Amino acid sequence: MYIQILKNYLLGYVRVTIEGYFIERLMNLCLKKGILLWKSNRKKSTLLETNVSIQDFKRMVKFAKQSKCKIKIKQKKGLPFLFHKYKKRKIFFFFLCLVVAGIVFLSNFVWNIEITGNVKIAREEILETLKQEGVNLGIPKSKIDTKTIIQKMRLDRDDLAWVGIEVKGTNVLVKIVEADKKPEIIPENEYCNIVATKAGKIVKVNALNGTPLVKEGDVIQQGTTLIGGWLEGKYTGLRYVHANGQVTAKVWYTTTKKIPLKQEVASKTQNKETKYSVRINNFTINFYKTLSKFQKYDTIEETKKWKLFSNLYLPIEIVQKTNQEIIEEQITYTTEQAKQKAIEEARKELEEQIKDKENISNTYINYQETEEYVEAQVTYEILEEIGTKEKIVF
Amino acid sequence: MKRRKKKQNRIEEWLEIPKEISTQKPKLTTMGFEELFIENYKAILEYQDFYIRLSTHIGIININGFSLKLKEMTNDDLLVTGKIESIDFEKTVEE
Repeated sequence: MYIQILKNYLLGYVRVTIEGYFIERLMNLCLKKGILLWKSNRKKSTLLETNVSIQDFKRMVKFAKQSKCKIKIKQKKGLPFLFHKYKKRKIFFFFLCLVVAGIVFLSNFVWNIEITGNVKIAREEILETLKQEGVNLGIPKSKIDTKTIIQKMRLDRDDLAWVGIEVKGTNVLVKIVEADKKPEIIPENEYCNIVATKAGKIVKVNALNGTPLVKEGDVIQQGTTLIGGWLEGKYTGLRYVHANGQVTAKVWYTTTKKIPLKQEVASKTQNKETKYSVRINNFTINFYKTLSKFQKYDTIEETKKWKLFSNLYLPIEIVQKTNQEIIEEQITYTTEQAKQKAIEEARKELEEQIKDKENISNTYINYQETEEYVEAQVTYEILEEIGTKEKIVF
Repeated sequence: MKRRKKKQNRIEEWLEIPKEISTQKPKLTTMGFEELFIENYKAILEYQDFYIRLSTHIGIININGFSLKLKEMTNDDLLVTGKIESIDFEKTVEE
């Protein structure tokens, strides 16, 4: 039933008013001959409004004469009538076809590369490697062979645990899972020393295998051998082993921060101006004068790629430039304020370096004050395990 | 004649053919009080805004209501919409 009505919409239908005394007879005649009527509505006892398809309408006129009814067309609906309306506008149709053809043509190329999952590796680096494999903006989609590219990328770079490349519309989605660099594992049957990774002061030495070379309280440099990979016996002589054990040491992390007492601080004002331009590949069309009306300003450039659907990007970018006016002010700190600020900044910087803050055993803070600046030195003392295995090379 | 009809019925029952197909009885389905779907009817005897009279193989169906519209109409089924007040039947007397 609904399929029939849909078909009639595609092939066109008319809404007619039927006037006469024998409307029921006409309706029965239509039913017998297989004419579909829908949305019939009796307006008056001698008036009926109903929908009928174009082909059936011609047959219906015949039956209407038989049953002495008058038929009038009230509305014409459906696609054929719609097309007929636009038949004279040939140039409009020509350009419509041109636009559709253009979009279809452009959708065969790659216009956007999206990279997700990278934390340590820079976006540009991955784009560069993709470029070497042949994935670049503007290349045809059919040239991309995701499997071989993934294999090549994984062979080239050892910091990628997993790479997934997906072509969706004109968009290339690159998903990356980064791998942590694994420490070199030395097999049990080879000889090795335990060596300090950082400079510090030894707190505890726990040698499970090998000869401890340092004592508690020793201050060591980076690279010092902590546990030697050999054992010496009275009767057995010197014998190399696979050293094993933990060495805990106090390690100091230090940063210094210098804060000048007189500073120029830039602050933003309320004034802003936004300028737009359109960029097609590398060709830019500006819609503004390049000169800004502000003396000093920050420029924020935002580019938006034009896309039709969620994944069908087009090679057209809209560039939005926002100029933010800036006023520079002279600020003079008192020594106390400068101190506070220096310590705060230094602490912040240190805490970014340190992984586990629970092991902080001590903090030291030193100042140096002059007339022009305040320098603060903040040192964190942390208990850490500093030994790693290193192969003995004979 | 009578016996033959009975036999046919039994076969149809065994094959589980729907009744509205095997017999020529009309099937009426109502959705709420606003929609009535009628299958297996013969002809429209009268159609007014407030009253529809349909003939079927076993009798006549009268539908009373307000602003009744025939939404869909084909050779063997009919969808009536509008405010339906009552439906009643007139059974034709068998000889």
